[in-house]
Amino acid sequence: MSAALSLPGATAGDAVPTLAGLAAAAAVLVVLARAAPRSRAAARPAREPGQRIAAAGPAGPGGPAAARATAAPPDIAAAQGTAGDRAPADRRRFLIAGAGAAALAAGCGGLGGALLGRFSVSSLRGQVRLPAPAVPAPAVPAGTSLRLAGLTPFFTPNASFYRVDIDLALPQVPPDTWTLRIDGMVGREIELTFADLLRMPLTEADITLVCVSDEVGGPYAGNARWLGVPLAGLLRRARIKAGADQVLSAAADGMTISTPLDAVLDGRPALLAVGMNGQPLPVAHGFPARMVVPGLYGYTSATKWVTRLTATTFAARPAYWTQRGYAAQAPIKTESRIDVPKPFARLSAGPVAVAGVAWAPTRGIAAVEVSVDGGPWQRARLAAADGPDTWRQWMWAWDAAPGLHRLQVRATDRTGATQTSRRAPPFPDGASGWDSVVVTVA
Amino acid sequence: MKYRLVAVSGLAACLAAGAAACSSGSSSSSASSPSSSAPASSSAPAAAAASPGTTAMDFGPACSAVPKSGAGSFSGMATAPVATAASANPVLSTLVAAVKKAGLVDTLNSASNITVFAPDNAAFAKIPSATLAKVLADKAELTKILTYHVASGRYSPAQLASGKPIKTLEGATVTPGEAGGSYAVNNAHVVCGNVQTANATVYIIDTVMMPPSS
Repeated sequence: MSAALSLPGATAGDAVPTLAGLAAAAAVLVVLARAAPRSRAAARPAREPGQRIAAAGPAGPGGPAAARATAAPPDIAAAQGTAGDRAPADRRRFLIAGAGAAALAAGCGGLGGALLGRFSVSSLRGQVRLPAPAVPAPAVPAGTSLRLAGLTPFFTPNASFYRVDIDLALPQVPPDTWTLRIDGMVGREIELTFADLLRMPLTEADITLVCVSDEVGGPYAGNARWLGVPLAGLLRRARIKAGADQVLSAAADGMTISTPLDAVLDGRPALLAVGMNGQPLPVAHGFPARMVVPGLYGYTSATKWVTRLTATTFAARPAYWTQRGYAAQAPIKTESRIDVPKPFARLSAGPVAVAGVAWAPTRGIAAVEVSVDGGPWQRARLAAADGPDTWRQWMWAWDAAPGLHRLQVRATDRTGATQTSRRAPPFPDGASGWDSVVVTVA
Repeated sequence: MKYRLVAVSGLAACLAAGAAACSSGSSSSSASSPSSSAPASSSAPAAAAASPGTTAMDFGPACSAVPKSGAGSFSGMATAPVATAASANPVLSTLVAAVKKAGLVDTLNSASNITVFAPDNAAFAKIPSATLAKVLADKAELTKILTYHVASGRYSPAQLASGKPIKTLEGATVTPGEAGGSYAVNNAHVVCGNVQTANATVYIIDTVMMPPSS
């Protein structure tokens, strides 16, 4: 809840799920406390109902937060004091109340689960067999990956890929009942099943995604090989009408995302993706299908658990984050980051490898430079490029002299534009500024 | 009755500690990216859940001065990297200016799991203005003083109470202590402690500490 509310533009409605969970948990506590036996001796069996609630808790609408509440009932029961022993009747009352609460929690969990369509789709996901791409990604050139400890790997493994969503519980969308609806300002409405998608010619593309919340030097960027159906083809099939300028996508968790139509149609590999790094999309990353559009921050392009694409206009239909004050359109700003040496590192004088990644999706990175203590900019060595839509690793060999030093990095894209030094926060359209790191050389 | 109230408010505190909305990789870590490369980590607003072991309530007489809502509130700060969190907090504006002058913003935001003893505006006001101006103009000296307020690792109130000296990133140690519920570090008192940010535990203090060799 705090995460949702701390975002600029959060509304009171964003707190409702957590507040509802809190209210439910508080009500359970009060009921149990009233039913708790009065003596310490009688209180001991009270732990069992507490534990049963713990078992039922995590599935409830309160999600992981509600599960943390389960520690309380035994403490209350034990703390009720030693005033006499009305044990048998009280214990029965407590156990019944506890069982009732557990049943209620399980029921709420079931209801909550049913409302969210929640059971686990992991086994169904495990049965998906992705076809080979009709259009494979071009071979990754040799040298995209510099061998250096601490440097971000060129491809981000699925398990480490950053995750940003508004969900207390991830949508569990079974692939056999999932459909994608394409509608709005179209000549022909289309509905596709997952099987339909897998029968289409699939394209593979290496694309770096970036979250608008990524601060300068932050970790909310990742690179993967995506497999999917080109969105341009799907939209053309639906015959988009003149006047439409936005694809408003909707997701199984209620998220809506607005994407400029021209970005989807201009030839960049915008995909309705079903595969990530050779596997079906992980549940946390949008199973069974998501959008991936290079060059745009995720909140304007990367709809997970996508269920609907509506051709419309920006004027008519603002999406979720736009309603909360983020820019309606947000191309990814050119950025670079220092991965090694680490902040406050203590290094030995002499050769030190300074390295990191830089990105300018759709434009490509042309140069990366490093400056020591505000001194002249030194050209870093760039790893080989894998197209314009992914980041590039870079490395610079520093002859480090003793003392306290500040290293700074900046990147230039292939249009010749150097990233701005002007500091901007993530809100409303992405952070900017040159990353830096302070280290001590002995 | 009292215990029921404590339990319910304990619940509220747990829930207010924040559910995850944003995490760099697996949900186990609140600060470092768990990918094997471990890039210099930072977390943005709506970042990973506050580290589980240190979600004791914030304590101290001046915690009420912290904004009740928005980016500078306790829940707002919990999901932001430490320099960003501090810049949202009016109580720490002089410190933030000093950090910017020293060029330490990204370094503090990207450091993994640190503890920051953050002098509040009143602490800086105790320094004669001529002295303060001189320090702010001397980047090396300023960095030395600021790094004397940062330690590697997230220290809990219990660790401060133990009195065991804490090695700072400047190199010298600071000595924490606790007496009658009141916490201190060197000659400074903790006015609001155990404030959680995405990558750092913060103790707001009322005096700027001077490193021994300064």
